[in-house]
Amino acid sequence: MSETRVPPRFELEPGSITRLEPEQLPAIVLPSAGGPHTLGLALSGAGVLIAGLAVLDAGNFVADQFARSAVLGWATLGVAASGFGLIGAGAWRELRGLFGLRKVDKLRAALADPAQVRKAALDWLATLPEGAALSGAVAATNDPDAITALLRAGPAATLRARADALGRTAALQMFAAAAAVPSPALDGLIVAWRGARLVRQVAELHGMRPGTLGTVMLLRRVLTGAISVAATEMAANTVANAALSNPILGRLAGDVAGAGVAARRMVVLARATAAACSPLGTNGS
Amino acid sequence: MRAVEAARGLLPVRRVVRIGVTGLARAGKTALLTSLAANLLAAGAGFPALPAFTERLAGRSFRAALAPSGSGELPRFDHHTHLAALADDPPHWPARTGAVSLLALDLTIGWRGYATPLPPRHIRLELLDYPGEWLLDLPLLTQNFDTWSAAALKRLDGRPEARDFLAFSHGLPATAPADEPLASAGHALYRATLERQRQAGLSMLQPGRFLMPAPGPQPPWLAFFPLTGSSPLAGLMEDRYDRYRTQVRADLVAPSFGQIDRLVVLADLLTALHAGPAAFADAAAALSDTARALHWQMRLPFLPDWMSGLAPLFGGIGRVAFAASKSDHVADRQRGNLANLTATLTATPHVESRAFAIASVRCTEDLVWTLDGRPISAVRGRVAGEARAGRSYPGEVPDRPPDAGFWQHPFLALPNFEPLRLTLAGRAGVPHIGLDALLTFLLEDLL
Ligand SMILES: Nc1nc2c(ncn2[C@@H]2O[C@H](COP(=O)(O)OP(=O)(O)OP(=O)(O)O)[C@@H](O)[C@H]2O)c(=O)[nH]1
Ligand SMILES: [Mg+2]
Repeated sequence: MSETRVPPRFELEPGSITRLEPEQLPAIVLPSAGGPHTLGLALSGAGVLIAGLAVLDAGNFVADQFARSAVLGWATLGVAASGFGLIGAGAWRELRGLFGLRKVDKLRAALADPAQVRKAALDWLATLPEGAALSGAVAATNDPDAITALLRAGPAATLRARADALGRTAALQMFAAAAAVPSPALDGLIVAWRGARLVRQVAELHGMRPGTLGTVMLLRRVLTGAISVAATEMAANTVANAALSNPILGRLAGDVAGAGVAARRMVVLARATAAACSPLGTNGS
Repeated sequence: MRAVEAARGLLPVRRVVRIGVTGLARAGKTALLTSLAANLLAAGAGFPALPAFTERLAGRSFRAALAPSGSGELPRFDHHTHLAALADDPPHWPARTGAVSLLALDLTIGWRGYATPLPPRHIRLELLDYPGEWLLDLPLLTQNFDTWSAAALKRLDGRPEARDFLAFSHGLPATAPADEPLASAGHALYRATLERQRQAGLSMLQPGRFLMPAPGPQPPWLAFFPLTGSSPLAGLMEDRYDRYRTQVRADLVAPSFGQIDRLVVLADLLTALHAGPAAFADAAAALSDTARALHWQMRLPFLPDWMSGLAPLFGGIGRVAFAASKSDHVADRQRGNLANLTATLTATPHVESRAFAIASVRCTEDLVWTLDGRPISAVRGRVAGEARAGRSYPGEVPDRPPDAGFWQHPFLALPNFEPLRLTLAGRAGVPHIGLDALLTFLLEDLL
């Protein structure tokens, strides 16, 4: 401390600057899109080759047919067009499903930003069947937190209740299926199939129609994002209650090993999916 | 231990943890509470706002929410307004606090491993925000009017700011009647004296409400002043003084300080280093006397300073954090010195305590500045109202109580930097220094 001292100093830098930002912007914990994987790239390449070559081939074939006779040409063209049209429609649906997910992300970001929350809330309400009832209240509220609270108490609660109902139905089916299925190996298959269906049902409830790809993306998000939250606290109680309040189911659950676990998973899955699909995220609960 | 905690977690009880924050006016209490709440809420929402705290949780689920105020007595700490002001463009610091308010946060902490399915634990954190001036009212609780008057008059003795008041009080006859005009004249003079002393940089100014009265019309019992003797006027002053103490008990002790189990002692040591040896001794005494009071846990007549009077209030305190605030005004290496300096001022052998250098609301970034051909670690921030960057190296922070040699060189005043921009208007947390370590230390045994 006593070596030669530099005298203290304060200096203004020339020129004005914008506000300073925190060193590292805190990461927002939505699962990131990330770059495509190597496998993804290769598969896309294969897809382009197959589809493109198929189209070219079909084009050649149609031209050949026209050369043979106009009738044959038109008929082939009709067949080819409707075939590719159906494929295209399927692809379009898939894409729309994916866009649905993007839209939720955008809406979620907007709802988290006090400056945009009211407009985002009104936009969201406009897409919901019972939304109109609440939009007056939202339009009249200034406080961002009050708006989120309104959404949470209104549409989010309704959606969650419906997702729960779907989850419970699936859970009941799991009870029944576990009792009926002859081999435990089939069990897993049924769980997977019913789970995927449940995810789509809940997504549709939130106004999304995920295709196959969309469902896969959604599942991934459900697993990475929300499962820890949904899995621990609420769902366990719900299922315990559901199972215990019905004496027959209670007995069944006791009889069939694993049925309780599988059913419980359905409720958890419904909740987690609802959390992933809801613009309010897990805070909706 | 874990089993006991787990069993307790199964009960639908909520553990209430009261954290007392002591700090004189402008020490940074309101900023600390605002930042603490914002960062806990952000951490609960999954933002990496409190790294050390999150690490301590080690993967357990964590949620935080502002507790509903129910039908409680105390006004709620207006977190949203304070945070919105900091997030604004240009940002605003919280105004001087004029009344008591309560910040209550509900924390929900899950379990890990095999215990995961257990219902989570609920902890309610309660912190009181209050005008810093009022802190100095706490010692009044253990002093009667005569003792206090004698001490107050002794402090005023010979001070130029007190000339008018002293002339008035020496001029009072020994049989002065309990007249209202006399009482208000004396009170006005005494209050003016305190105002002038505050401008002169003194902080030992009692009673605190004279400088920061509670909002609303003034009750009659506020109009008193220190007076010795046994005149009827002194009797009236004594009654009012006692009524004043009742109010202090109702406003500060009953809701919080009477039953706190953790304590944060905030001190603005950097400003004190600038203000000179007298002000530094004042601030250092505030820290070390708290430390000593905690150590003895009882009132000792030979403790010279006002803090000793606080001891009986701090009965069941388990953990104490001594924190030097606004440490973003110096660079990282100097913050180490600042924490060491705080530690040497506050050795408390019998209570779990630790010293920190924190900044609740970070305003600067570190910078290596070449001065006179030598690299110096300094800080850089945007100066409020200027829209220009300022580079500041206020001087070397000593790592032990400064000696006479230190005071030979100036330590610059802290520039008025504006806070960093808040991401998502503060919902992603408020940039800070060391708040996570402070919080983790305070709650360590509960996490
Ligand atoms: N750079 C910096 N300045 C701070 C920080 N915290 C507080 N300050 C400054 O200190 C001033 C006082 O902070 P407050 O939080 O209002 O202090 P207080 O203890 O509540 O004061 P009273 O309400 O008067 O008792 C603020 O206006 C800021 O200028 C910090 O972390 N960094
Ligand atoms: Mg304050």
